[in-house]
Amino acid sequence: MSVVSAHEAPAPAITLGGVIRAVGFIGLGAIGVTVGLSEVLARAPADTIDFGPPLIAPSIHFPLGTDVLGRDMLSETLHALAVTVTNAGLAAIVVVVAGGLAGFIAARLPYRIGFVLRGIAGILGAIPALLLAILFIGLASRGLAPLAAGLAVAPLGFTRAFDRARALGQSRHAEFARATGISPGALLRRDLTYEFRDSFLSIAARALAAVTIVLSTVSFLGYGATPPHRDLGLMIAAARDVYFDAWWTAAVPAAALALFILCARLAAGLDEGERA
Amino acid sequence: MSGHLLTVTELTVTRPGAKRPELDRLSLAVDAGETLVILGEAGCGKEALMRVLAGAAERDEIVDGTLQFGDASPERAVKFPKPAIRMSYLPGPFEQPLNRHVSALSQLTRIVARKLDAPRASAQEELGLALGRLSGAPKLIDLDKPPAELSPEMQAWGLFAAAYAQNPELLLADHALAGLAPGHARALTRALLAEQARLGFAILYAAMNAETPVWLKGRLIVMRHGKVVEEGPAERLATSQAHSYTQTLFKAQPAPLSDKPQPRASTRGQPVIQAYRIEMAKPSPRRARDDLTFELRRGASLALIGDEGSGRHTLARILLGLDRAPSGRVVFDAVDIGVLANNMMARLRRRVAFVAGADDMLDPRMTIWDTVAEPLRTHLDLPRHVVASYRDVALKRVGLASLPGNRVVASLSAFDKRRLQVARAIVSAPVLAVIDEPLRGLDAFAQAVMRDLLKNFRTQEGPAFLVITSDITVALALAEDAMIMKDSRVIERGPLADILRAPKTVYTASLIEASAPVKNSTLSPAAPGS
Repeated sequence: MSVVSAHEAPAPAITLGGVIRAVGFIGLGAIGVTVGLSEVLARAPADTIDFGPPLIAPSIHFPLGTDVLGRDMLSETLHALAVTVTNAGLAAIVVVVAGGLAGFIAARLPYRIGFVLRGIAGILGAIPALLLAILFIGLASRGLAPLAAGLAVAPLGFTRAFDRARALGQSRHAEFARATGISPGALLRRDLTYEFRDSFLSIAARALAAVTIVLSTVSFLGYGATPPHRDLGLMIAAARDVYFDAWWTAAVPAAALALFILCARLAAGLDEGERA
Repeated sequence: MSGHLLTVTELTVTRPGAKRPELDRLSLAVDAGETLVILGEAGCGKEALMRVLAGAAERDEIVDGTLQFGDASPERAVKFPKPAIRMSYLPGPFEQPLNRHVSALSQLTRIVARKLDAPRASAQEELGLALGRLSGAPKLIDLDKPPAELSPEMQAWGLFAAAYAQNPELLLADHALAGLAPGHARALTRALLAEQARLGFAILYAAMNAETPVWLKGRLIVMRHGKVVEEGPAERLATSQAHSYTQTLFKAQPAPLSDKPQPRASTRGQPVIQAYRIEMAKPSPRRARDDLTFELRRGASLALIGDEGSGRHTLARILLGLDRAPSGRVVFDAVDIGVLANNMMARLRRRVAFVAGADDMLDPRMTIWDTVAEPLRTHLDLPRHVVASYRDVALKRVGLASLPGNRVVASLSAFDKRRLQVARAIVSAPVLAVIDEPLRGLDAFAQAVMRDLLKNFRTQEGPAFLVITSDITVALALAEDAMIMKDSRVIERGPLADILRAPKTVYTASLIEASAPVKNSTLSPAAPGS
């Protein structure tokens, strides 16, 4: 007779949060495929004027209608979505590196240096990300909008990662590891490995939603993308004068933008985090 | 009408996808004023029974069967039953039933107020009265701290008092004494028996060690895999068991302390720790100078024995260079740690291993493989296949080789986590192993296995053992020499066998008495408030 009870592995639990994340990632995957095939799916190259008569409502010939310059809304939305997703992807990488990764490392720096950096990030985080992004674009250039948006959103990711890393550093298991000679560097590697391996996609998805809002708003205000590389924010801005007569000119890019942000937020498990 | 206080009929608790039910058609009855102890190893079904009765069944558990409380009509068992009798639930402090950051007194008062449907002030008064009746209990005001700042024993006194203050008809004690220092466990048991005699409540106690039922007497039900394997009076089952499982369960208890323990010799090598005139507290005019000089050699084992707060951990932290002593010198592995920089001290500590009775000592995010391999990967430059082979050998030695290596620590049982600590210690090839209450919170089988694993670890790897415990049986199993500690002082030291044979202080004698296992245990109720 075995005197030690068998310890069965717990069955993997399907949680509501898990389902929400899965739906979000499936949505992002579908958007990624659409962006990848945008050149094939679009009926006209980007910014093709007079592809059809101006301001045609959605119909069989023009499923999403045309805009004031006769551009096919379906093609334009696909091209703009590709620009938005690409820029947001780059900006999200900036957030993960300058926010999450830097916050984790800063928490392990000598106490005073770490807290000075945490304080600076806290002050920057208190400023609306949109204003910071406009400031950074002004200091750099329009072409660096993704970098500016990423840096504008990063402070909140930084403080979040910093606080998490501090809590991990003070945990019992970290104390136990230090008491057996595990070096601070090895502990940092351990934390980065597990935090980023287990939640990298969540961090990136959270960042993706935030930077998409910032980038689109910046473009809407005229500080971001420029034709012919129009993004969804610029498409909505271009529809301002005709929106009340031709709703589809703004509603279609807005719906695409909303869908992308919603998928990113779902993929992040509806987690409040780096918000624009 | 059944005439019983509680009647459980054909109670079954299952989880979807589980190989067998947690509780398999269990039927039992508890009479008014009776004591019924349910004994079994972790996962035998007693936890599921307690959860159902306490209305704390887990979300994915499916509950079936009938429950009858007192004279009320039997009702189909549901996840959240509404008992028609006054019932109070008494968890153990190691289950962390209280919020760790809010005053324990405030939380206990709120529990009593809610149960009695009384204002907070009256509830606090009731709690104070209940606490005052318990012999050896702390004062009410002492509990006005967050549980994180209270010892488990202090929390236990508070939890027990809160349970009595509810004036229950049935007390559901869920491993309420598990892991507590033997002296406190016995004092709490005496107080429990006294309160039972005074208030006349019935006790349904879930236990994982055979010691508790013998202390509490009453009726004993032994469970395994959700079923009852044996039932009878606790006193009879303690001496004669019919079922082989019950026999194994009682055999797993530590051997009774011998009246004439013989000193044991062990092979001893180079000194690992040399302490010269170290003091744990700052010298003051009111306190006499009290320094400590001793050495611990490789292969030897020293037990620091005392209650929580006696200074055992302070001394261990000083010896490991984690804290500095107000005065004195510690030489670790021939290096004076007082002159070492932090990074050099960290290097020196690579040769230290820990096995502790706390489940948060391992990183819950790490996998089994990573947890064991980390010291090898961090401290040595070994090829991957060599690391893997050391890791696999260590896991095999502790009996965890059959578990998937990519399972995370968070999903392991307390016993598995404890064995994983031993595996990690084995691969570290330490010169010093700090063994801190290694059996705390484990069932009798798991305790027996852990004792053997640690002995085997000591024999094969030969490190010096520094055993921190309040349980003399643990010290006796793992150490030859001992220091008895109280109020940050060593009050007695020498070979453990000599200390056991002729204790020089009352405190030492009380520790020995508290740790005397089953055979010698006959507890009588404590006089109230004495």
